[in-house]
Amino acid sequence: MMDDIDAMFSDLLGEMDMLTQSLGVETLPPEPPPSSTTKEMNFSIGFTDLNASLQELEDNDLDALMADLVADLNATEEKMAAERSGTADAPSSGSTLATPTLNDFSFPSPTAAPAFMPTPAPAPAPAPAPVAPTASTSPLPPPQMSKPSKEEIEAQMKADKIKLALEKLKEAKVKKLVVKVEMTNGSAKTLMVDERQTVRDVLDNLFEKTHCDCNTDWCLYETNPDLQTERGFEDHENIVEPLSAWTRDSENRVLFKERKDKYAVFKNPQNFYLWKKDKATLKDMKEKEKEMLLEENFCGTSIIVPDLEGLLHLKEDGKRSWKPRYFLLRASGMYFVPKGKTKTSRDLVCLVQFDNVNVYLGKDYKNKYKAPTDYCFLLKHPQIQKESQYIKYLCCDDEATMTLWVTGIRIAKYGMSLYDNYKTAVKKISVATSWTDKINSNVSTPSPTPKAKAANGHAPTPAPEPAPQAAFPPPPLPSKSMLPPPPPDPVLPPPPPASMSGKGPLPPPPPPSSMSRGFPPPPMDDLPPPPPMDDDDGEMPPDFLPPPPPATGFPPPPPCGGGALPPPPPDPCLPPPPPPVSFPAGSSDGGLPPPPPPPPPPPAAAAPRPAVRKAGPPPPKRTTPVSSAPAGPDLMSELMLAMQKKRGQQ
Amino acid sequence: MAAWDLTVTVEELGPEAPPLKVSVTSDLHIGGVVLKIVEKTQIKRDWSDHALWWEQKKQWVLRPSWTLDKCGIHADARLSFMPQHKPLRLRLPNGTTVLLRASFSAPVFRCVMGICRILNIRRPEELSLLRPVEEKKKKKDKSPEEVYDITGAPVSPDSMLTLSNGMPAHFAQSPEYEAVYKILSISQPAPAPETIAKKYRSSNLVEKAQVNSRWLDSSRSLMQQDINENDKLILRFKYYTFHDMEPKTDAVRLTQLYEQARWAILLEQIDCTEEEMMLFAALQYHIGKVSLTDPQLTSSPAMDDLDSALQCLELKLDEESGSSGTDMLDTMAPAPALHDYLKIFRPKRLTLKGYKQYWFTFKDTSISYYKSKEESSREPIQQMNLKGCEVTPDVSIAGQKFCIKLLIPEPDGMNEVYLRCENEQQYSKWMAASRLASKGKTLADSSYSSEVESIESFLAMQRTNPGATSAQTDESINTHSLVSPRYQKKYKPKQLTPRILESYQNVAQLSLTEAVQRFLQIWQALPDFGISYFVVRFKGCRKDEVLGVANNRLIRIDLSVGDVVKTWRYNTMRQWNVNWDIRQVAIEFNGNVNIAFSCVTADCKIVHEYIGGYIFMSTRSREPSETLNEELFHKLTGGHEAL
Repeated sequence: MMDDIDAMFSDLLGEMDMLTQSLGVETLPPEPPPSSTTKEMNFSIGFTDLNASLQELEDNDLDALMADLVADLNATEEKMAAERSGTADAPSSGSTLATPTLNDFSFPSPTAAPAFMPTPAPAPAPAPAPVAPTASTSPLPPPQMSKPSKEEIEAQMKADKIKLALEKLKEAKVKKLVVKVEMTNGSAKTLMVDERQTVRDVLDNLFEKTHCDCNTDWCLYETNPDLQTERGFEDHENIVEPLSAWTRDSENRVLFKERKDKYAVFKNPQNFYLWKKDKATLKDMKEKEKEMLLEENFCGTSIIVPDLEGLLHLKEDGKRSWKPRYFLLRASGMYFVPKGKTKTSRDLVCLVQFDNVNVYLGKDYKNKYKAPTDYCFLLKHPQIQKESQYIKYLCCDDEATMTLWVTGIRIAKYGMSLYDNYKTAVKKISVATSWTDKINSNVSTPSPTPKAKAANGHAPTPAPEPAPQAAFPPPPLPSKSMLPPPPPDPVLPPPPPASMSGKGPLPPPPPPSSMSRGFPPPPMDDLPPPPPMDDDDGEMPPDFLPPPPPATGFPPPPPCGGGALPPPPPDPCLPPPPPPVSFPAGSSDGGLPPPPPPPPPPPAAAAPRPAVRKAGPPPPKRTTPVSSAPAGPDLMSELMLAMQKKRGQQ
Repeated sequence: MAAWDLTVTVEELGPEAPPLKVSVTSDLHIGGVVLKIVEKTQIKRDWSDHALWWEQKKQWVLRPSWTLDKCGIHADARLSFMPQHKPLRLRLPNGTTVLLRASFSAPVFRCVMGICRILNIRRPEELSLLRPVEEKKKKKDKSPEEVYDITGAPVSPDSMLTLSNGMPAHFAQSPEYEAVYKILSISQPAPAPETIAKKYRSSNLVEKAQVNSRWLDSSRSLMQQDINENDKLILRFKYYTFHDMEPKTDAVRLTQLYEQARWAILLEQIDCTEEEMMLFAALQYHIGKVSLTDPQLTSSPAMDDLDSALQCLELKLDEESGSSGTDMLDTMAPAPALHDYLKIFRPKRLTLKGYKQYWFTFKDTSISYYKSKEESSREPIQQMNLKGCEVTPDVSIAGQKFCIKLLIPEPDGMNEVYLRCENEQQYSKWMAASRLASKGKTLADSSYSSEVESIESFLAMQRTNPGATSAQTDESINTHSLVSPRYQKKYKPKQLTPRILESYQNVAQLSLTEAVQRFLQIWQALPDFGISYFVVRFKGCRKDEVLGVANNRLIRIDLSVGDVVKTWRYNTMRQWNVNWDIRQVAIEFNGNVNIAFSCVTADCKIVHEYIGGYIFMSTRSREPSETLNEELFHKLTGGHEAL
């Protein structure tokens, strides 16, 4: 009986893999017909459609996206592994499970150009000895403990499998979006976000990708060209939520930029809480007094909202004219004094309460709506994307007043969360700076978490860049698309195009130039490699995530850094080198993965750490559940049945 | 040294008995005097609480080691030998009166500490005692109010033993005491609207200032302030900085504070807007309902909170890990749905005039409708996702109208939809589902059934006779009991109910403690919160003005208009002092700003104590183990009289 269930489970898991796998392939690549099972949203933000979105993805974006996917999956797997009884080696199982994902993505099409294949072949070079063994070949390594009886072990394994299955189902239900985030310099990053991620998570991710200074003013910003509005997302918001409100043909954009007003209230609380005082007093406010103000207003049993009041212009529902009214801000909402009344509480008329609306800045409303000034803000339900009588438009005399009101409303709406966000942001800086220090002393990568590391696949120095990538199985790509490393970050001048394929030694990456440009920490993931010349002409099948360039074809990292730079220090954090490069491409459908080939000798510069990166030979068993799971009823019922049986047995 | 006779009245000998004459010498210390008195009475009892009171000088003679000479007591002194702790009738913030033994000899500050220890209220420094308003004698016909006698409680329960449910051990001595504890720790049922109207008085600034003239002096004892045994006093939260609130241990404190806040709102002692009033009403209704309907809660609030916290935690764990299998399976079960014929009306669409009947299904967070039940397998005519929408009831029991108004946000605005149900049951289900959906929850959510119930009970409320004045008994309640007289006049109960219901949907899921805390938070967020008013006259000004004293600032307010003229924050204050001869308070702020004022409606000691008290409150650290620094309090609030 036990065996039956076992078998059944393997089948079920296999089946699920197939399902998720097929979906995974479907959602990402542009060509396949839309899957009927994918009802959940998986469209991309910032692109008109999925095709376009993937077409537009630049190589580095795709790489990053890929890394995100893997990281995501990894996080789940690792979490599961951690949950498992202490017997299994968590990181290793995580990596085992994770890598296949990548594999699946890399091998979707049999049209892979063989031209590229050779590159992987010599790959053994960078693989470190210790890695491969850890990455066990079985997706669920049997517990190593000798104590428990065989039955116990089996039972445990079964429980693990159930957990895994359930976790997968759950994971598959998570809504995900591809977002294009625009930088201030006109470039863009494309990210995969899921509904569990907060804006804070995304910011952290972007910090790593952009080498910005991580100060607290950075924020994600939404613009709506129809309404000419802008709104900075709050750090605690789930990013997917506001994005889901966009219409499919939306021209809304997400920007990543610094906004002084984001946390101005915590930096200079006196400007908001003592706004009535004269400017000189406010300017000379001592730090101690500022702290006191924060303590008073944010640390008590109740958050105190600044007592704003004053004349604002209101555009009445659906009308074109702007009428001046005397407004007051209270924790419960925004009120105005009706004609002929005083501003005592009981006479006030409520314009709006904040439960269901967000506050947005209106841009150029003097033109658009004949507003008295350009300092306008509006309150609307986030779902509303076009002009409507349900939007409340307000106009202030000057920018300071507008900031005052908008911030006041945010405090009233978000309360403590806002302060918590700020405190987290401040903490992040200190972490970031301490990391930067470390980088400067050439110690390690600046990524604070393994996940983040995985997410952007960067290395501390430009030179070793290819090495981490080598960890991934080289994808069979048509030669055109196989641009080696991702194109340089747009900030950098594009390095001269060099030879394309992997056969020649790479042109030396341009780290020196980047350094001279005042790039803060050592360049990261998207640095130096020569830009792909022709990736933009559509020929290449965009569905391939341009795999990271195989390391083997390139000169070892040290030489390339050697030009103008001091030789890169050995990097302990490098990802484990790819042990088995030679596994068959077709093995992605079920079955146990082949045992990893003996680990190749590690490359000189790279001393990969298995715990951090997924390295193992990708057992091509599972796919990343990028898209919503099909969750077919029969699968479910079978699973339930099996579980009930199992429970019955115990 | 020559011996002389000291005249001492001993209460225990009865009011008629002649005073004792005790032969003493001037160098005899007070302890010796007491010993002599006790011997002379020939009564065997515990005299340890007794002390000497010097009536002529209005002071206690409390230092046993001081000699009569040092105390200034001579043969002409008439002393009384009496217990220091005596019964006091104390009106609590919730309006009930208890009879308990309080110290008549210690400064009021310490007396309140003792009272709070008996009542199990932490942070006694935030409370103080008020003299009651002098009642007009003619209202004698009123039946005497109930007084709960807890004089049997030890006056100094030093080791605060508490039972597992948070009740102090001294309340466990009898069922009567336990009942009193319940009264202390559970909010009172909503008062009848008449009670509110009767207590209500128009509250302009001067009226609000009058209250503050009645505070007792914290640095002197009750006896010194002419309070006698069995007199009536009011216990109130005086300083509006509530430190270190901990629901688990602060059951009484939280409840009493809630009651004080609630009455402040019902009697319009603090101004709020109509929207805020409706929210307060909804919370009061909810708090009343939860404290009544949950018998477990009444028995042990603290335990129950713990239980619910544990449950909550369990749920969360399950949700997060999803590992237990069963839960996952449960969530995999087919999602519940509602199906029925309803009528729909969309005012914006010209094609649909009036209500039209369709077959409706409610699944997840969406409503779909079809031409008929038979067609429900096909594509719906329309599907509406209610997530984030506004749900408003449009109900008239008399007219048998049960409509749900939906404002569904869409990219180009709000889509206005009315759903009309046939009867209460149908309405309750669809309304509950709509409300949950608006918050992104589905029918599968555990709160669904309670949501349905609360809607039904609200409907029941509307069915009851609006003229009924009964207080909140079970499900039925007159909504006029939840709002101030202004709104009692402005709205009929049947107009009021839907408005309260509207606010209620945002709070219906809160636990008792959460609801109380939410109420307090909203109260504290009111712009006028925590300001105590005094009518004063500033030096060099000819007209009266109002001084508002808050926890962080002083506010100068124009008496006639009520506008804020100027604000001074304490942290810019350099010093303040009181000229007791001309009863004037002088304050110096940074930048050479000096103000001085005399107090019109209250003694300047009260104003002085308020300011010093707030500064004292701000010195408290966040550490819970911190002991109260009485000395500092008196230093900051006492003035020369106390020294």
